[in-house]
Amino acid sequence: MKRWIFLSGLFFLSIVLFLEKRPAGELDTKSVFRMNITSEPPTLDWSLATDNVSIRVIENLMEGLAEYDDQLRPQPAIAARWDLSPDGRRYLFHLREDVFWSDGKRVTAHDFEYSWKRLLDPKTASEYAYFLYDIRNAAEYNSGEIKNADQVGVKALDETTLQVDLKKPAVYFPSITTFTATFPLRRDLIEQYGDRWTEPAHLITCGPFRLKEWRHEYRLILKANDRYYGGRPALDQIRFYVVEEETTALTLYETGYLDRVALPPVAIPRYRNRPDYLHAPFLRGYYYGFNTEKPPFNDVRVRQAFSMAIDRNEIPRILNGGEIPATSWIPEGMFGHNPKIGLGFNPAKARALLAEAGYPGGAGLPAVRLAFNTDPTNRLIAENIQAQWKRNLGVTVDLDNMEWKVYLKRLKEDTPQIFRLGWGADYPDPDNFMNLFTGSSGNNYTRWKNADYDRLISEAASEPNELKRRALYDETQRILTESAVPIMPLFFAAQNLLIKPSIQGLKVNAMDILHLKQVRRVSSE
Amino acid sequence: MILYFIFRRILWAIPVLWVVATVTFLIMHVVPGGPFDKEKKLPPEIKANVEAKYHLDQPIPRQYLLYMKGLVQGDLGPSYKYLGRTVNDVIGDTLPVSVQLGLLALGFAILFGLIAGMISSATAHSLWDRISMFIATAGISTPNFVLGALLIYLLSHRYRLFPPALWEGISNAVLPSIALGLAPAAYIARLTRSSILETNRQDYVRTARSKGLSEGAILFRHILKNAISPIVTIVGPLTAALVTGSFVVEFIFSIPGMGKFFITAVTNRDYPLIMGVTLVYAVLIVIANLLVDILYTLIDPRVKLQ
Repeated sequence: MKRWIFLSGLFFLSIVLFLEKRPAGELDTKSVFRMNITSEPPTLDWSLATDNVSIRVIENLMEGLAEYDDQLRPQPAIAARWDLSPDGRRYLFHLREDVFWSDGKRVTAHDFEYSWKRLLDPKTASEYAYFLYDIRNAAEYNSGEIKNADQVGVKALDETTLQVDLKKPAVYFPSITTFTATFPLRRDLIEQYGDRWTEPAHLITCGPFRLKEWRHEYRLILKANDRYYGGRPALDQIRFYVVEEETTALTLYETGYLDRVALPPVAIPRYRNRPDYLHAPFLRGYYYGFNTEKPPFNDVRVRQAFSMAIDRNEIPRILNGGEIPATSWIPEGMFGHNPKIGLGFNPAKARALLAEAGYPGGAGLPAVRLAFNTDPTNRLIAENIQAQWKRNLGVTVDLDNMEWKVYLKRLKEDTPQIFRLGWGADYPDPDNFMNLFTGSSGNNYTRWKNADYDRLISEAASEPNELKRRALYDETQRILTESAVPIMPLFFAAQNLLIKPSIQGLKVNAMDILHLKQVRRVSSE
Repeated sequence: MILYFIFRRILWAIPVLWVVATVTFLIMHVVPGGPFDKEKKLPPEIKANVEAKYHLDQPIPRQYLLYMKGLVQGDLGPSYKYLGRTVNDVIGDTLPVSVQLGLLALGFAILFGLIAGMISSATAHSLWDRISMFIATAGISTPNFVLGALLIYLLSHRYRLFPPALWEGISNAVLPSIALGLAPAAYIARLTRSSILETNRQDYVRTARSKGLSEGAILFRHILKNAISPIVTIVGPLTAALVTGSFVVEFIFSIPGMGKFFITAVTNRDYPLIMGVTLVYAVLIVIANLLVDILYTLIDPRVKLQ
């Protein structure tokens, strides 16, 4: 018995000693920036990455032809400049000659051509291939209709010139080139290493940082790239820790293990007045959609009544996240935002419209169900809206929640009468938000189709004059949120952050893009 | 004899694992929603490309055969969520961490549980006994996410004794080990107490006492060996449960273990990863039960392997 106790003790001691051999926690924080990411990056292959965690890491390892400035306008990056043909269909990107991969080879236009064709190659099975569908023959190549990649309208004319031919003019196209999916790629490395090309030992990049360590499910460490064309960053290292739980991340921030953290809503009131608190808009909208083929929402007056019966100012009060109540659809911080558009809170008019539709005081209205995916925030909002409809319209709406994937299947196969969805900007251009509800959009679950709306959206996408473009988006937003109302926007999200005072140069923008090359640490903690 | 016993148990394990794999495969494909259903709907041609890459466009029976063929070769397939990584990679990276945490929690549970149970039995029906059994009941009843949050608040946030999370060294392992191990410790304490009290009533113990042996000698040489059998019974499945990780504890303490995949693989509909973690758990249960059976024979010579 004593022998067993002794052996067991030895066994557990060996586990303890093994653990103790691991590198100690962060001792020297000088020139190191630490933050959490909310999950393990599914991939660092930028042709395949679609989630914001992977993109967060990639955007510090790599750059594209253009990058965003502080106002989210595309500015030259690897492309020193670009020219647009008079008909708006051909771009010529002129690359810098001083951009190098971390193994010393120069970044060339051929790397971009290879990358974009790989993105579109059906064998790659990239979910973001549609980003390049504005390019001539891109969609056809991706769907397999065309087999020869040389027919796709992207071509490297020489080492420093990339020619891009579009199907039709698209004024937002430079914004597309800021996106990670369009970053250049090295054919030789992908052919050599296959699926393993993104492991730290193999990964070659050209951005301000390089990948030093990737301990899966735990941490990524990036180190400064001495060869970066914009000059070596001030930070020596970035550490991304995988911390999914919001309050754990907050505790790590409070105990000095992290330098930046997103505040969970429940904690916002407590931290709002601190000097390290930061609030910023976020290009993400939250809306309820109507199935315009299912009664009673096949009647536009009912949809208008439901929209006007809601005081959206109640939402930030219940969520506490600084959300921005919204009656229009283009979010604050994006070109085309116009808060004056949309149906404001007007319960008297809402009741009048409902009566006009044949349901005075809600009498005779068919049973109405609001569906949403299971989530505490969605439930809070749904219960509030349910109560408002009862109070202001006299209508009882039942709530239906289900697990996320089950919910998506339901949306596709039997769209509920009212459903909840959100949309986050892929790029900061209103086309990204407004084309959601065109007749051909796969993300339009409302069953609503309007030829005028579609035509105006197409015109706006190619209109170079800003004033005219803005007027087109005003008109389309009025159709979407005032006259036809297939959706009722509720609010735009906001960012609520804590950033240590010792961190300088960290600029927050509405796309939540973090360019850490600008960041420096002014003192250790 | 032991080797023959082990060999037979391994042979029995094969059909068991086959049934587990088949039932899991069927349930996975019956549940609504697919791995590539997203909020931003994919254009049909892109979805077709993605499904073809992972053979999801094949009929279900063919997908089953393809999967089983890989399984026999030890290939658990690619993860649909973690692109470029196989399920073998994902489990290989995370299972050792869960095993470390699980074994530490198990060690804590057994040590703390045995000592508390022994002290309780020695002071049976006293105030101390009642207090320790009350704490044991509270330990069993308190969810480990509540316990975890309490430990972080008190011992990290308030008094800065331990780090609140992450997995860097031994100091990071203390709080999660307690959070994970306290409920089993409480259960073991109660079991130890009642088992010792029952064994204490046996004639041979009375004989040993009348011969003048010290209470310590009686406890360690006579009582404990016989009283420990019920605890060994639960240690098997307890080990399997602890070493495969606890989703809640790993989530709260940001530990890169395997526990979360029991939930996230399902919510992501990452079919190969669902199968992988389920099979790992099943294998660990088989191994743990085998070890428990062998341990019985070593503790109690009256028990024979059959």
